[in-house]
Amino acid sequence: MEEKPISQQESLLLIQQMIQTAKKEQKDDGKAWIVWGWMLFISSVLTIANLHFKWFSTYFFWNLFGIATILIFIYETINVFISKRIRVRTYTKDLFERLNAGFFISLMFIIVAINTGVPPTKGFALLISLYAFWILIYGSALNFKPSVVGAYITWVFGIAALFVKTFELVMVMHALGVLFGYIIPGHIAYKEFRKLHRKEKAEIV
Amino acid sequence: MFKELDPILHSQLRLAVISLLISVKEAEFTYLKEKTNATAGNLSVQIQKLKDAGYIDVSKQFKDNYPQTTCKITPKGVEAFELYVKALNEYINR
Repeated sequence: MEEKPISQQESLLLIQQMIQTAKKEQKDDGKAWIVWGWMLFISSVLTIANLHFKWFSTYFFWNLFGIATILIFIYETINVFISKRIRVRTYTKDLFERLNAGFFISLMFIIVAINTGVPPTKGFALLISLYAFWILIYGSALNFKPSVVGAYITWVFGIAALFVKTFELVMVMHALGVLFGYIIPGHIAYKEFRKLHRKEKAEIV
Repeated sequence: MFKELDPILHSQLRLAVISLLISVKEAEFTYLKEKTNATAGNLSVQIQKLKDAGYIDVSKQFKDNYPQTTCKITPKGVEAFELYVKALNEYINR
């Protein structure tokens, strides 16, 4: 691109092109939702199996999940410091950083509550509700409909979890909430991101 | 009577830079260079012109021993861009 005068039509076209280019920065590849979603889903399913077959103590797989989460958190934190610099900052990315921090604090709050007297059946219902809240904000900010729809479905399972009697059923609600809230929208986002990436590559060629 | 198009913005590269910056919070020089396909020298000159007009803020710092130039649109730049688009619409719709 050179420094040259342009016609009004060319100006308008250029503005549109550049805004479209910058908008691509707002896209999420969905990988984090997929990893987080599958981790939660597998932990729920293994807990159901564990309750049924009585392999280990009830929360064995959730303890494993907690250790894995802490390790991933440490890895990601280190990565932020040693990875290449951020070339562009968007208002959406800034919002997500704060949203993720708030989500993590609230998550810890509920986990501590479960460990200090709140019944796990109710605690997990609260967790499902927290996921739904996070998914709704994320989906709305990205204008990503599968996440917005997924958030409301997750809330339905969260409410259902409040009223079911056994921990096994709470785990079923948890697994279903995670499936519709994180896993399915995550895979759709990943597919769309790849499609966009391929299109962009084809345009360059 | 049509408003005159802002000569600072009515130039291909400067308009491209402002259009990118209007959509993000801030962007590094290398990002702007990649997205506009401009040469480093030319981009530097045009960024300086936008800075002189008060349309963008430019901050320079060293990070991991590399120079890092970051650009951010100013409220004056946002206003100028909005007026430019308005004037452009008037021209196109006449």
